[in-house]
Amino acid sequence: MATVTATVTIEDPIGLHARPAGQIVKLVKESGLEIRMGKAGEELVKANSPLRMMALKAKTGEELSVEIDTEDEALAQSLIAQIQEFLKG
Amino acid sequence: MSQLPTTILSGLGVGLNAVTAEVFRVKPHTSLPGPAKHDGDQAGEKATLREAVDFVSAYLDELAEKVGETSAEIFEALKMLLEDEELFETAESNIDSGWNAATSFVMAVDEFGELLAGDPAFEERFADLKDLANRVAAKIAGVSLGLELPTTGRYVLVGEDFSPADTAQFTDAVVGVVTIAGGPTSHTAIICRSRSIPAVVSCAKAADLIDGQLVLVDPVGDRVIINGDDSLATKAITFVAKATEPIVPVRANIGSLEDSIAAATTAANGVGLFRTELLYLSEKVKPSRDKQAQAYAEILAAAPEGPVVVRTIDAGSDKPVPFLDMPEEENPALGIRGFRLIQNHRDFIVDQLASLEVARAKTGREVWVMAPMIATVSEAVEFADLAKQAGSFKVGIMVETPSIAMALNDLAGKLDFISVGTNDLSQYLFAADRMNAGLGTLLNPWQPALVRMLEKIAVDSAKAGISSGVCGESASDPAFAVVLAGLGFKSVSASRSQVGAVRSALSSVTQEEAKLVAQKALVATTAEACKANVLEALAALS
Repeated sequence: MATVTATVTIEDPIGLHARPAGQIVKLVKESGLEIRMGKAGEELVKANSPLRMMALKAKTGEELSVEIDTEDEALAQSLIAQIQEFLKG
Repeated sequence: MSQLPTTILSGLGVGLNAVTAEVFRVKPHTSLPGPAKHDGDQAGEKATLREAVDFVSAYLDELAEKVGETSAEIFEALKMLLEDEELFETAESNIDSGWNAATSFVMAVDEFGELLAGDPAFEERFADLKDLANRVAAKIAGVSLGLELPTTGRYVLVGEDFSPADTAQFTDAVVGVVTIAGGPTSHTAIICRSRSIPAVVSCAKAADLIDGQLVLVDPVGDRVIINGDDSLATKAITFVAKATEPIVPVRANIGSLEDSIAAATTAANGVGLFRTELLYLSEKVKPSRDKQAQAYAEILAAAPEGPVVVRTIDAGSDKPVPFLDMPEEENPALGIRGFRLIQNHRDFIVDQLASLEVARAKTGREVWVMAPMIATVSEAVEFADLAKQAGSFKVGIMVETPSIAMALNDLAGKLDFISVGTNDLSQYLFAADRMNAGLGTLLNPWQPALVRMLEKIAVDSAKAGISSGVCGESASDPAFAVVLAGLGFKSVSASRSQVGAVRSALSSVTQEEAKLVAQKALVATTAEACKANVLEALAALS
């Protein structure tokens, strides 16, 4: 399976906290896809656990890598855009 | 129609109105079982855990629905955390290691807590998540956590005592409150007084009340009557003022600028107790003299007309001031507190007095200063010297320790006034911790030994030419205030909401009548008899 990768930026003034983490997990579950996120250069984690996402301790201004396992490039881009939207706070 | 027999349970009343309603017993907070292993049924434990998580999750949905759209997001976010798959998987692997369902889940939450430690945005959430984990554990153990109160109907809530978290959940269906423990200054009493919910606290026999029983909560009579009705309620004494001015001045207690402004809207004659520590408890570094003087000037300027009695800092290791070093103590109530802080923090007390002098000069107000927690004549003299050097104040001390009450004769010519803090005086006289909910009966101001000690204080002060007042909680009780005036105190200071009631009481009697009422209090041998004698004497006067 192909993997679409992208980079998103935390714009939320309080970082990747419970609410955006929850929103992303909800989106991931609805998509039914495996999506992984993490800091560049570190091991990515499955974006199906808000606690695990919060444990990334991503702060405002930091970039996160996103990997989505799918053949559907358009769907992947739309998911990435929504994730970026959640990270705006 | 047959009348059910009535049973009287005595306690301490809070409020003036009685109420009759059905008993609603709050189950005692059961403690959760400690960590434990399961007996080998891993699949069973996992199923139990799943069921408990779902149950708490549904409870969050209910809460979200109750609070409406704006706050519902909080509960939704919490639900996401509770239902976190990795959290559940971590718990499952704990079950695989032998821990039972409840222990495994609590452990899993703690593991994530460690992972996320140091992130302030998460730490708040973590406390909520811990609470949810406890709810999951409680569900598994089959115990109830917190209050589940009816929202409709009319009930008298009966329980051991209620915490601030409990009282926050009181619904409109709570029309009366009875506590087994707790005293007149307990959190429950304070909340019930402010929300005008009739209550009887420190009612040991209430442990026998059962759900559905009809009870009369009769705060004026200090009792609960099983099968009683409103016709049995003790009438509150209504004081009809006969004079325009009370027989002794009634001052107000304040602790902040807001209090000072509000007190000025009452008929209070000045301030009888200005608790200064509130200005410092939230300061990380010691405020400069200028900043202190500014704060004092604002409060003095706003205060009701008359003298303002300022108490120097009354802090201890149980309510520490952040910028003063106050090491933990085994018994804070008996430790280095109040004026004893001068041992290590003389500069602070000197600064406080200097700032007050600046504020006094600036506002032109009459300021009296007094130190709390004075135990000996030398401490009193040390403070008096310090205060006289610092400014143009009337100088006094709080009388809270039995030791200084025994030495007032030696203070002639050294002090202008004394003010009795009856809450602390009770605590030290009866060796009864004010914070211990089980000791309410000992802290009852109607205890004859306290009344007799108060008489000694009033008489000895007068002999020594020292003006005496009372600023403790007891002076906010109109009937007790009449006793205080009758014992010879020259002023009383009440909480702001009680100034009017205390003034009416003290305007409804003459000094001679108050003296007679006080005599009735002095001959009683129990707290109940003391109050009953006084109420009877007052009723006979009106």
